[in-house]
Amino acid sequence: MKLGKLQKWMQAVVVHPGSTAAALRSAAARRLLPARKLQSVLLPSPTLSPAERVAVYQEMFPLRMYDALAADYPGLEHFLGGRFLEFAVAYTTAHPSKGYTLNRLGDHVPAFLSKQRRFSPRSFLVNLARLELALTEAFDERELPPLDARAIAAIPEARLAKSRLITVPSLRLVKLEWNAGAYLDSIRDENHNHPKPREGRFFIIVFRRQYAVYRLPVSQAAFDILRDIAAGRTLGEVVERSLGRRGARRASPEDFSRWFRHWTSEGIFAGLKRA
Amino acid sequence: MTPKPKGNRFGFKDLGIGIGLRTAHYAHILSKWPRIDWFEVLAENYMDTGGRPAYVLDQVAERYPVALHGVSMSIGSTDPLNREHLRKLKALADRTKAHWVSDHLCWTGVLGRNTHDLLPMPYTEEALAHTIKRTKRVSEILERPLVLENPSSYVEFAHSTMPEWEFLARLAEEANCGLLLDVNNVYVSSFNHRFDPIEYLDAIPADRVVQYHLAGHTNKGTHIIDTHSDHAIDAVWKLYAHAVGRTGRVATLYEWDEDVPAFEVVLKEARKADKFRRAVAA
Repeated sequence: MKLGKLQKWMQAVVVHPGSTAAALRSAAARRLLPARKLQSVLLPSPTLSPAERVAVYQEMFPLRMYDALAADYPGLEHFLGGRFLEFAVAYTTAHPSKGYTLNRLGDHVPAFLSKQRRFSPRSFLVNLARLELALTEAFDERELPPLDARAIAAIPEARLAKSRLITVPSLRLVKLEWNAGAYLDSIRDENHNHPKPREGRFFIIVFRRQYAVYRLPVSQAAFDILRDIAAGRTLGEVVERSLGRRGARRASPEDFSRWFRHWTSEGIFAGLKRA
Repeated sequence: MTPKPKGNRFGFKDLGIGIGLRTAHYAHILSKWPRIDWFEVLAENYMDTGGRPAYVLDQVAERYPVALHGVSMSIGSTDPLNREHLRKLKALADRTKAHWVSDHLCWTGVLGRNTHDLLPMPYTEEALAHTIKRTKRVSEILERPLVLENPSSYVEFAHSTMPEWEFLARLAEEANCGLLLDVNNVYVSSFNHRFDPIEYLDAIPADRVVQYHLAGHTNKGTHIIDTHSDHAIDAVWKLYAHAVGRTGRVATLYEWDEDVPAFEVVLKEARKADKFRRAVAA
């Protein structure tokens, strides 16, 4: 058998989500090698048949995918429990790895779960996955030194209003409709009292400082301000838009002062683009 | 009288005894800066991150010699070479001043897919010519001779026309590449395929071996899996002693990737190689 054909056949067998017998009989494998001709390609050993030998690879494949996804989605793994392997197989069948690293294998998990009915409650799982993906992305972003608060204080107010704050590359703004953050808290704290999925409105910022990833719940008003800053609006526009909002989305002048001090000390800003 | 080994033909240094840089040991390394000769770095884990792994690697590379070890080059695949992967690999090698860059004699996927497994090659003239051509090309791109590791494997192809050791020796000579001789892999495959591991080691061109790998494995009775999850067994150390007797002292690395114990436990296991290295000429 030519090298190219052999590799296509073996890959079809190895990545098949069913048993090895089913993999050898699958349409993708059969097209290249009828199952009855297996011995013409693979030799038996004194202890294993050709099918048992290729099964070593085929059985390890889903476990490798499981481990890679569980590393990025520990909350999802915890919630799904024994069904996480089923999820990992279904996901990697739909989104096989095409990159040289497993680090980005899980990038499509939120979108995948949003179209699945077999894993429930679906909306909660999508929220959990979105939050965990944000944490993974923040982990790998490049590090920039945080903005020194004195750099802001040194700018006259009129010029400051026309300036733009630059957020650190790791900042992610995650708006959730389910209590996924509380669920992750319960796993982190190992309190064994995991909250049941509950609907609500949750605003979370994820960022990294000194190579450690943090997530902080914030108010909707604070979330909207950070979203405007991240979108590249001037500070004057950010303030004006916030004051123009109503109810919980409106920030007071005291809020601005307090939040900016807090965010600066947390290292959420990496620079200031002067007018 | 056995002639004194002259070292490898590429002039790559004997870095001494090292272990793989693993996340579980970051805190220990950064706080203790332990006495160890060198670290091997899993290249793909550091190519696309600007986070803590990159920070730790830069700190380590400033203080210790490092070599890069890849798992996704897929040198035997019939898919085109991944130019982006090679570009980033070269950039990482330059950044860390890596002494050499290694990967595996295997393929990891076709049709644009990556199984992330080190799948075995059939040992045929067609596969050899294909791998020689690609190895030469990769060495050109990386601007250094590629170093390839012998794999552990669980299947044998019926149409192979030569043993693995002949394939590896011819590949090394004709593509002018270095070899990373994984002694545990030789043992694992010799058990799975019932060949004589000494015959394998004696067929390897000694002056092309620039690094050794040692590791533990899991014996399932009917076959052995290369799990990197344990201490190396005595039979593997005996093979290492035999191999070092042919090549002289060559950079040696202990791999421990599953159920990774404390740094000192892995280092102590790696240090067992000292006894065998001392017994041969430098």
